[in-house]
Amino acid sequence: MSFGTKSKRVKVVEPKIQFSWKEAKRQKTLLIWSGVILIYGVIFYYLPLGGWLMAFQNYRPIDGLFHSEFVGLQKFQQLFSDATFLRVIRNTLAMGVINLVVTFIAAIVFAILLNEVRNAFGKKTVQTISYLPHFLSWIIVTGIIHDALSGTGIINDLLVNLNIIDQPINFFAHKQYFWPIVAFANVWKETGWNAIIYLAAITSIDPSLYEAAAIDGAGRWAKIKHVTIPGIRPTIMILLLMNVGNVLNAGFEIQYLLGNGLVQSVSQTIDIYVLNWGISQGDFSLGTAAGIFKSVVSIVLIVIANQIAKRNGDERLF
Amino acid sequence: MKAKRVTGMLLTSVLAVSLFTGCGGGKNNVNEDGMKEFTAFFAVPGAEINDDNDIQQIIAEKTGAKVKETWLTGQTASEAVGTLIAGGEYPDFIDGGDAMGQLYEAGALVPLDDYLDNYPNIKEYYSDEEWDKLRQDDGHIYWIQQFQNIKGEEKATTHNDEAFWIQTRVLEWAGYPEVNTMDEYFDLLESYVEANPMEDGTENIAYTILCEDWRYYCLENAPQFLDGYPNDGSVIVDPDELKIIDYNTTDTAKRYFKKLNEEYQKGYVDPESFTQTYDEYIAKLSTGRVLGMIDQWWNFAYNVNDSLKQQGLDEKGCNYVPLPITIDKGIKNQWHNSGGALNVGFGLAITTSCEDVEGALQFIDNLLGQEIHNLRFWGEEGVDYEVDDEGYFYRTEEQRTQAADAAYKASHLCTYSYFPQYKGTSDDGINANRPDEQPEEFYDSLNSTVQKCFKAYGCETYVDMLGTNEAPGSWYPMYSFSNAMTTSTPGGVAWTKMGEIKHEYLPRVVMSKNFDSAWDEYMTAYDGCDPQAFLNEMQAELDRRMEEAAKYQ
Repeated sequence: MSFGTKSKRVKVVEPKIQFSWKEAKRQKTLLIWSGVILIYGVIFYYLPLGGWLMAFQNYRPIDGLFHSEFVGLQKFQQLFSDATFLRVIRNTLAMGVINLVVTFIAAIVFAILLNEVRNAFGKKTVQTISYLPHFLSWIIVTGIIHDALSGTGIINDLLVNLNIIDQPINFFAHKQYFWPIVAFANVWKETGWNAIIYLAAITSIDPSLYEAAAIDGAGRWAKIKHVTIPGIRPTIMILLLMNVGNVLNAGFEIQYLLGNGLVQSVSQTIDIYVLNWGISQGDFSLGTAAGIFKSVVSIVLIVIANQIAKRNGDERLF
Repeated sequence: MKAKRVTGMLLTSVLAVSLFTGCGGGKNNVNEDGMKEFTAFFAVPGAEINDDNDIQQIIAEKTGAKVKETWLTGQTASEAVGTLIAGGEYPDFIDGGDAMGQLYEAGALVPLDDYLDNYPNIKEYYSDEEWDKLRQDDGHIYWIQQFQNIKGEEKATTHNDEAFWIQTRVLEWAGYPEVNTMDEYFDLLESYVEANPMEDGTENIAYTILCEDWRYYCLENAPQFLDGYPNDGSVIVDPDELKIIDYNTTDTAKRYFKKLNEEYQKGYVDPESFTQTYDEYIAKLSTGRVLGMIDQWWNFAYNVNDSLKQQGLDEKGCNYVPLPITIDKGIKNQWHNSGGALNVGFGLAITTSCEDVEGALQFIDNLLGQEIHNLRFWGEEGVDYEVDDEGYFYRTEEQRTQAADAAYKASHLCTYSYFPQYKGTSDDGINANRPDEQPEEFYDSLNSTVQKCFKAYGCETYVDMLGTNEAPGSWYPMYSFSNAMTTSTPGGVAWTKMGEIKHEYLPRVVMSKNFDSAWDEYMTAYDGCDPQAFLNEMQAELDRRMEEAAKYQ
């Protein structure tokens, strides 16, 4: 059973749209509104790209964008000969992928499980509670995590009292814990929120399919496997595509707030690197170069993912 | 329907217009009473005062101007300043702290030298030699360093700087022993914790180390003091040869970290040392559980002492006093220096966004007048302090407690604490410029356990606990140069990388089960940062400063 536009390669002939003033006049509201959005997009998304010029200059605020010395690709060379930057890319990719996989799976599993709850009140309560953390800012979440994982925090108290460990573990002093802590924090904060869209997708599955499955002797498990999951597959694909483009946005606040000197070699992300060198050290050019690199990689990732989706005949972005 | 649509569109366009103009904002320096209003940003943490603050209002009436001060929150100085530079809009007054150099390089500051002669109080605030020290490489003066300026006779009572601190209860328990080395210090802490593991149901922590971001000096720069050198901050200066020495690689540094490592392995160093944030650290000290640490007085005392007092923990001996510790016995310590160090690395500046530079300077000038200065630091006569028949200022116990209350500070007191100010004696020749330097006032405001401790050591002040030293030399302090370094020079890049390496490896060295191999790893990584490039630039600066100073001899 499948609900996607699977493996039907029909050549669609797009009807040619003739421009006419009469039509334009009829849709003038629509046109004006599109114009507003267009202007907004140009001003806030395209004009700032002019700042990319800085990456090819030795930018100094006193000289401004138009009078700084042009240095070509020197800043990029500097960037890629810096061992810290290479490590930062690794951290960003690693945390990005871990976060993507874990939060993605957690949200789908959570949505499916929640959908199986028959008690409407219980379902609503769980759903509400589970998406509340989404509205907390990272500074609060990291504060909670810092407390919970501290030497006298609840986790260490629990582990010590259950005799699993004898000495409290100093979670933030060891590199191996950092990525899991970040992944856990992301799951805790976003699972409930991300599940909403899957729950919505599940609701739109035709109930008669479940009935038909039941008649064919499908139990709960078989219904999930053969009706629910295929039913939300297009949603999953679209969200996956969009999130792949976000892999390099592995985060800034959480690593910035939870990191410390001991774990900085695994905690720093590209965004923190940009902050350190671009803003704190005042090397705007280097910061911009790092930012451009990040954008380019993100675009490449999203194109690749889109191509794969296209080849499999799944939903895609473009 | 149509009306609705039109309204909708109007609203949208209004929204769009407001989006574009929102950031600009009209800047008006004069409010409706004809009072000038300036803005100021200080890249250090600080407490904001209320808008209707009493003394701010009095000063405003006398000078015709007031300043809305904002402080650093949750960022480092260079992040905050970098953000301002990126935006290109500044408050009228600024002190960029460690990031002052960036403001100068960005052309954000107004050169002040042409104005100085018109403002007598500002002009006489420094000698010509000192003003020259404040000149940048383009020959102009852009900022006025606000602190450590002593008028008349010096009256140092508090050791405002770095030291090994210890709670008075530990000293009292041990019968006030002489503590001169790290070994003696840690032996004392160890035996106290063995005898008193708990205090009111919570575990005592023998020693903690603050290591967060720029505050990691609490871990990092003790080797210079242990060898008996003053706080040049980033290097040691050999006063005879006038050569720069790197304190990171000395034998003393290795012995210091080895000692910390031993204590860590024995469990006497707080295991949360390297992961705690500044807030957590202050909270920890405020519980009275921490027996000792290295820190700068200004970094902990103002918050911690007030909160110990409120909980009555000061009477239990939880206040900290400094100890004159060196690596071996017989070295003269220089934890404390007299004379006031002119830190030329930062200060109060006026930015290019300020539309009334003369007015701003006039305000600074007015703040330095004795009457306003007394208002800033003593408060209102009859309310915050009393004057006896001979004109001598004193405070009642009630006034003292009131002055320590956070709410009262916000609503009533206004010190303009990051504007230029004096220590030492007042123009009247009798009083100190600040309550905590008025000898009787200082002693009376001390807690009884601290008084007892001072008496036991034959001291009267915090400074006596350490002994004082002459000002080190005309180069001092070198940190004013290294703090202002940017990554535009190889030495600055090396300095940044050294900082990163030390942040990561020093905690590891302390925590490692195998000290020697951890130390070797650290040294290898450290050498990889090219510290020599940094040291060479420091040496060049040292030579330059000595040359400048020679002109005045």
